[in-house]
Amino acid sequence: MRKYLFIYKSEVMSSLQYLANILFGFLGYFIMLFIFFQLWKYLYSDPDSVMNGYTMAEMVWYVIMTEILWSTLGGKNLCQKISNDVKSGNIAYNLCKPYSYIHYALFSHLGSITIKAVLYTLLGLVLGFCFLGEFPNISFLSILLWIISSIGSLAISSLFVIFIGLFSFKIEDANPFYWVYSKFILILGTIFPIEFFPKILRPILRYSPIFATTYGPANLFVHFSFQNAFRVLIAQFIYLGIAYVLCYFVYQKGVKKLNVNGG
Amino acid sequence: MLTAVKNQGRVSFLSIKYALMQEMLNRVTFFTNILFMILNNASFIIQWIVLYSIQNNVGGYTFKQILLLWGIAAGTYGFSHFFFENAYDLSQIINEGKLDAYLVQPKNVLLSSITSKVKTSALGDIFYGYIMCFFAGLGVVDILLFTILSIIGGITLTAIAVLLGSLSFWFQKADMIAESGNGFMTNFATYPDGIFKGIVKVLLFTLIPVGIVNYLPISILTEHKVEFFFLIFLFMIAIVFFAFFLFYRGLKRYSSSNLMSMRI
Amino acid sequence: MSVIEVKNLQKTFRVKKKESGLKGSLKSIIKPTYRQIEAVKGIDFTVSKGEMIAFIGPNGAGKSTTIKMLTGILYPDSGDISILGLDPKKERKKLAYEIGTVFGQKEQLWTHLTPYDNFKFFGAIYDIPEEVVERKIQELKEVFELEEFLNTPVRNLSLGQRIRCEIVASLIHEPKILFLDEPTIGLDPVVKENIRSLIKRMNKEYKTTIFLTSHDVGDIEKLCKRVIIINHGELVLDDTMENLKYHYLNKKMVEAKMKEKVNLEEEEGITILKDKGYNLKIEVDTTLKSVADALKLLNPDNIVDINISNIPLENIITEIYKKEEEK
Repeated sequence: MRKYLFIYKSEVMSSLQYLANILFGFLGYFIMLFIFFQLWKYLYSDPDSVMNGYTMAEMVWYVIMTEILWSTLGGKNLCQKISNDVKSGNIAYNLCKPYSYIHYALFSHLGSITIKAVLYTLLGLVLGFCFLGEFPNISFLSILLWIISSIGSLAISSLFVIFIGLFSFKIEDANPFYWVYSKFILILGTIFPIEFFPKILRPILRYSPIFATTYGPANLFVHFSFQNAFRVLIAQFIYLGIAYVLCYFVYQKGVKKLNVNGG
Repeated sequence: MLTAVKNQGRVSFLSIKYALMQEMLNRVTFFTNILFMILNNASFIIQWIVLYSIQNNVGGYTFKQILLLWGIAAGTYGFSHFFFENAYDLSQIINEGKLDAYLVQPKNVLLSSITSKVKTSALGDIFYGYIMCFFAGLGVVDILLFTILSIIGGITLTAIAVLLGSLSFWFQKADMIAESGNGFMTNFATYPDGIFKGIVKVLLFTLIPVGIVNYLPISILTEHKVEFFFLIFLFMIAIVFFAFFLFYRGLKRYSSSNLMSMRI
Repeated sequence: MSVIEVKNLQKTFRVKKKESGLKGSLKSIIKPTYRQIEAVKGIDFTVSKGEMIAFIGPNGAGKSTTIKMLTGILYPDSGDISILGLDPKKERKKLAYEIGTVFGQKEQLWTHLTPYDNFKFFGAIYDIPEEVVERKIQELKEVFELEEFLNTPVRNLSLGQRIRCEIVASLIHEPKILFLDEPTIGLDPVVKENIRSLIKRMNKEYKTTIFLTSHDVGDIEKLCKRVIIINHGELVLDDTMENLKYHYLNKKMVEAKMKEKVNLEEEEGITILKDKGYNLKIEVDTTLKSVADALKLLNPDNIVDINISNIPLENIITEIYKKEEEK
C-alpha cells in the first residue's frame, strides 16, 4: 500500500506544475454553473416554490456539488491515458513491475486531481454564495460525511473510466464508449436530481452507479440525514467492489491476449 | 486571380479528401465514431424533455425551437470541425513549429494548415443536425436554409478558432485561452437566449457571438427574418477577414522550431 | 550568375526565462522575463547557379534558422535576401514555385498514402496539369529507382525509402534551387550513400543548385565543392572544399591500445594528443606522413586494438573558430 501512497503523493506534487491549466479550467466550470444558475432562476419564477422536493437554492447547490465531482474527475483525459497505455504497449512494461496496474492507474489519477478537487470545491462554494447570497444551513458532521462520500465517488468514477479505457484491448478506440457512459452520468446524474425523472425510472437510477457517484454525495449536502449517509456509504462500498472486479477481469483478459501476441 | 482561387480550391479539396481517407483506414472505428456522436448528442434530449415537463416554454423557446437550436449547434460545430479541425489545434501547430511544411508551398498557409485534418465524429454532428430538422418538421426549403446557416455558422466558428489560435504567435500559453474561448461558444450554444439577461445577453451578441452563430439562425428558420440573414452573413465576412489579417500578422513572428514532428 | 544573395541577415529569438519551482512558475505568469537569443548575427554570402553548397555548423549555430529564412518560413529581423531575384519576405508564394525543400526531421508526405498519390498531391499544390505530373512521376521513377515501392503506403516504407520519396516530392515542380536541411540525419551508412548519389545526380541532370546543411562530414566531403561554416550565428568560413580539405580534412586521428609501452616522439606530421603508455592517441597529417608510416612507428606487432578516424567536424569548426578569434 505504501508504494501507492507514494505514487499518489508524487502525482499531487507534479500536478502543481499545471496550476495555470487548472485556473483556466475554472472558466469552463464557471460558465457551466452560471448557465445552470440562469436556467433555474428562469424556471423558478418564485424562488421559494418547491419543485419535486427542491427549492431553488437547494437545486443550485445540488448542481454545484455534482458539477464539482464532474469537473474534478477529468474522465476524458483518464480514458485517453489508459487507452494510450494499452495501445502504445506501455501496459506490457507494467507486467514486470511489482505493482498492480489498476492500483497504479487509480492512485496516480486521484493524485493528479487532488489539487483540482480542493480548488474547485472552494470556487463552487464561493460561486454558490455569490449566486444565492447565503450558505445552506449544514452541520459539521454532514460536511465531513459529504467529503468522505465525495472521495468515494471520485474513486468509483475513476475505476469505471479505467474499466472503459481498458476496452482498448479489444477495440481500437474506446472513446465512444466513454462518451456514452459520461453522458449517462451527466444527464441522468449531474444536471438533475433523481426526483426529476419519471416514477418508473427512479428506482433504476437509485440502484445505478449514479446513486453512489453523483446523486448520493450531492444530496448529502442538500438534504442531510444519517439514514441517507449510511445508504450512500453502503452503496459506495458495493460499487467500489464491483468497479474493481470489472477492471480486474478486463485487465486479466487483455493481458492474456497481449502475451499471445507477444506485446 | 480566378485560376489562383480555383487552384487553391482544388488543393484544399484534395487535402480534405486525403485527410478523410486517413480517418477511414479503420472502418469500424470510423463508423462507431459517427454513430456514437449521434447518440451522444441525442442523450441531451432527455434534459429538455425533463425541463419541458416542468414548463412548456423555456427562455421563450418552444420544444420545436429547442430541437432546432440543437440542430444548428450540431450543424455549425460539425461543419467547422469536420472540414477545419486543425483550426482548433492551431495553437499547438504554431507552438510546435508545424507550419513549416505549409510555408514552403505556394498556397495559402492558413487554409493548407486548417484543412489537413478532419474530425470523423463531426460527421455525426452534421447528421444529428439533419435528424433534428426532421423531428422539428422542417420542409425541403427550410432544410436547405438550415444547410446554408450551418455553413455560415461553421465558417464563423472556424474564424473564431483561428483568431484565438493565432494568439499563440504572441503568447505561448494562448492555447488555454483558445480552448476556453472555443468552449464558451459550445457551452452557450445549446441553451435558449431567453434565460440570459442584461450584460450577459450583450456579451452573447458581441464578444462571445453565440447569438450570431446560434440564436439568430433560429429566428431565421422559424420566422424567416431576412434582415438577420444579412446580418450573420456580414458578420461572417468581417470575422473571416479579421482572422486572416491576425494570422498573417502573427506569421511574421512565427519562430518555427526544430521539434521532431510527423504527420501521422 | 548568382541565384542566392544574402546581405547582413539577422534574426533574434525572444525566449521566456523560467525559474524553477512553484514560485518561479507563478512569477513567470505574472511578470515574465525574456532572454534574447541572437540566432543569426548579420551574415552575407552569395551562391551561383548550379553550385552545390554545404552550409555547416554545430547544433544551434544558426544554420536551420538561416535556411528557414531563405525559404520563407521565418521572417528575418533585418537584412536582405534575394533568391532568384525574389524576396522571401514579400513574395513567399512566387518563390515557393521556384524552390524545393527537404527537411530531414520533418515529413511533408501523407503517411497513409502511397508515394504516387503524394506526388499527385504535390502536383496539385504546384498547379501542374494532370498529364504533366504523370509524365514527371514516370521520369523521376526511372531516374531515382522508385519502381518497387511507388504504390506502397509511405508508413510502410523504410526511413531511407521515405527520405528518397521526400526528395523526389520536392522535385515534382522542377525547382531551380533545392534546400536540404539535414537530409541524411538518422540514416544508416548505406542509405546515406544512396541519398548522396541521388543528390549528385539531381545536380548533374537538372542543373539544380543545391544548398545543403548537415553536420555529417561525409555529406559535405562527397557532395560539395564549396563550404560555408557558421558558428554562434556568424560566418566563420566561406571557402572551397579543396582549401578546407587541404587545411583540415587531411588529418587523421589514430587511437591505439598497445601490448607494451612505446616511447613515441613527436615528429613532422605526427602530433601526440594523449600518451598513457599503453593507450595512445595521435594526430597524423596525411600531407606530411601517410597513415601506414605512422603505424610503423607504433610497431604493428605491438597493437592490441586500433581505431583510425577523421577529425570530427565539431573539432574542425572549433579549430577554425579559434583561429578567427585569434585574428
